[in-house]
Amino acid sequence: MILRRLQYEMAGHAGLALIRFQDWQKARSRNKGKGKGKPSLFGPPLECLGKLKEMMSLHYLQGRYADGAVPVAWVTSGFPVEILRPLGFHTLYPENHAAMCGALRLVPQLSDSAEQEGYSRDLCSYARTDFGCGLLHTTPVGRLPKPDLLACSNNICQTVLYWYKALAAHYNVPLVLIDTPFVYGEAKPHHVQYVRTQLEELVSVAERVSGRRMNYDELSAIMVRSREGSRLWGECLAKAKAKPAPWTGIDGFFHMGPIVALRGSEECNAYYRMLRDELQDRVNRGIGGILNEKHRLLWDNLPMWFATREISTLLAERGFSFACTSYTNAWAEAAGKISPADPIGSAAHACMHIILNQDLCNRLGILTRLARDYSCDGAVLHSDRSCKPYSVGQIDLKERLTKEMGLKVLLLESDHNDPRSWASEPGANRLSAFMESFA
Amino acid sequence: MTYNAGTISRSAYALRQREEFGRRCLAVLPIYYPKELLTAFDILTMELWGPPGAPCGDAAGRIQTYVCAVARNAIAFLQSGKAEVVDGVLIPHTCDSLQGLAALLMDFGGWSKKVFVFQHPRGVGRASAKACLEQELRALAGELEEWTGKRLDPERLTWALALHRKIEAYRATLLDQRELCPLNEVELYALLRRGEWLWPEEHLEELRRAVQGLAPVPVQKGIPIMVTGYLPEPSGLLAALTDAGAYIAGDDYAAVGRRVGREANGAPADPWTGLTERYFAVAPCPTRNVVTGNRMQYLESLAKSSGARGVLVHVQKFCEPELFDIPGIRKLFAASGIPVLVVEGELELAISGQTETRLAAFIEMLRTAGRPS
Repeated sequence: MILRRLQYEMAGHAGLALIRFQDWQKARSRNKGKGKGKPSLFGPPLECLGKLKEMMSLHYLQGRYADGAVPVAWVTSGFPVEILRPLGFHTLYPENHAAMCGALRLVPQLSDSAEQEGYSRDLCSYARTDFGCGLLHTTPVGRLPKPDLLACSNNICQTVLYWYKALAAHYNVPLVLIDTPFVYGEAKPHHVQYVRTQLEELVSVAERVSGRRMNYDELSAIMVRSREGSRLWGECLAKAKAKPAPWTGIDGFFHMGPIVALRGSEECNAYYRMLRDELQDRVNRGIGGILNEKHRLLWDNLPMWFATREISTLLAERGFSFACTSYTNAWAEAAGKISPADPIGSAAHACMHIILNQDLCNRLGILTRLARDYSCDGAVLHSDRSCKPYSVGQIDLKERLTKEMGLKVLLLESDHNDPRSWASEPGANRLSAFMESFA
Repeated sequence: MTYNAGTISRSAYALRQREEFGRRCLAVLPIYYPKELLTAFDILTMELWGPPGAPCGDAAGRIQTYVCAVARNAIAFLQSGKAEVVDGVLIPHTCDSLQGLAALLMDFGGWSKKVFVFQHPRGVGRASAKACLEQELRALAGELEEWTGKRLDPERLTWALALHRKIEAYRATLLDQRELCPLNEVELYALLRRGEWLWPEEHLEELRRAVQGLAPVPVQKGIPIMVTGYLPEPSGLLAALTDAGAYIAGDDYAAVGRRVGREANGAPADPWTGLTERYFAVAPCPTRNVVTGNRMQYLESLAKSSGARGVLVHVQKFCEPELFDIPGIRKLFAASGIPVLVVEGELELAISGQTETRLAAFIEMLRTAGRPS
């Protein structure tokens, strides 16, 4: 235990040097083979990107040594993770990890093994990726710590509940569900009370698993940082209201790592301050995320992690860029709902009022506001086979955005993680035809 | 009055219920809802599991084709005008697809009549879930009072609870003592599923007659199997089982056996407690967050008590709650040496020749494996 703890702490400190050395080696080998390629369609890479990679690499490096050293919780992206922090949990986000596998195009092989086990290909590709990693004992981050607690909230989908039930059966550890009734208009008082009570129940389970007592002062301090982090993230996104947008919505997908995985920590906030300042500097100097921005688009739903470069390049060739996305915006919306004075109550409120746990009128309102605030003249609604709660309703949303806002809207069917659901050539044709309609 | 429930159409039945008894009719989506409460309000429920077959209108196109056929067919059915006989629709938040359907109808239209939602909690057994469920039931009762213009009579609710307990007891008897029931699969399931739309007192009557008709000794001579899944559709699948020489000895269909309440204790004095306990008294269902292990234990015990020699997993395409449990079910029965066949449907009107062949081969394999050497 002591040795394990030492390794965990060492990874958190000395790991940084190791990561920097590895990055230096990679950069060196890249530079050696560098010739004169095609001129880039994009603005210069954000300087913060290196810091982002460092932070996320360090998080996963430290995670390798977490089990046995500190309590480990696997959590869903909509879970009020702030409550676990004062109890010393190292948190791992299987969705975030699966997205990384998706971006590295590892999913077909991982999913194959899950499918051989009996999991249908119609199931969420994040879940299949996660099961595949478990079955093949493989991960691009070296090793994932085994969980002591599974913490899941169905405010993003019911799928996570089925997924985490399977994990609980496999790892034989407690599963805590924060069940968040869907909100039509205003949340019903008994629903809010229900979520609040569950969060109180969570505290006692997490205390038992961690062997520590909750320090509510520390929780309040974490909520302050979390609110600040969410606000800063919102500021970073809002920089894209400038023309040209200093970064693209696709960049935003990658930079949301800290607000998802490290929310409530000072390092997360420090990172977003740095990013915000760099973006402001780019706005001041007129540097765009793409070089020749002509049309600004809104993206709805999760990204296609395996094809972000492919799609953004295709668009950038004709001066199109995503100025905003409803998905990254979701983590900025929480800022106004978190109250350090009532950490549990406000966590219940924030947990219930996220885009996927609210009705379609609310969703239409968000899309309309984003399109207006970011001066978008078109939208791509990613009809995601693996995310039904995000996708059901998009056909009606498309019609309304077209009629009510005069936007040109494309419904593009694919999957957030499984490239086998994306036909590159027909997809490119659809996007090309969509872009031609702007002429 | 008892109608010839086997031949009358659902819509004709609903119309006659309205004419003779002034009963309103509510279409109800799967799976769990407080039927006792609706009965207490004198509301006829008409469950809408799709309906099966091709979508009966363009409105299915409002939901992507990779979403389950129940949601797509339901929106098409409601929007096509074919559900004019009902006065409203109740949508329980069973899964993401039905939640999406409810949001679509409430926010973006396509259905001009009343939409109720019932958000039952996940997390069976937790104190917070019980408290929330009772509040949810009371809130729904308030909405129904407003809609019907009637005050809920607590005595009427107590009566409805008692009525449905009798129905559940008869349904449990027919399913638990399947080998004594002379009805074939198609006949038995037609009877059980008439409970989805008959007025409960009439359904009770026909169930009582069926229970009286149970033989003193086993009359089912085929291969006993257990079925787990969503819905016994198409009925051709049931006929194919009979033709192959099998019968369903253990039923874990979400539409049928899984919903049968087996309440160990007597009826509680407080009807709200009774309604809440009723929800928790049914078998483990993946849509209600039971611990996976509990469900597996339940399935194992059902297979054992029914004497099943094989397990048929009959799921609907894109039905995530059911699909996630398949590997666990396979492992469970592989360990106890009980063969498993997985069949996937999509609310077709008829089973394919391939599925029929697979079922026949599976039953033949069970017969061979079970033959004494």
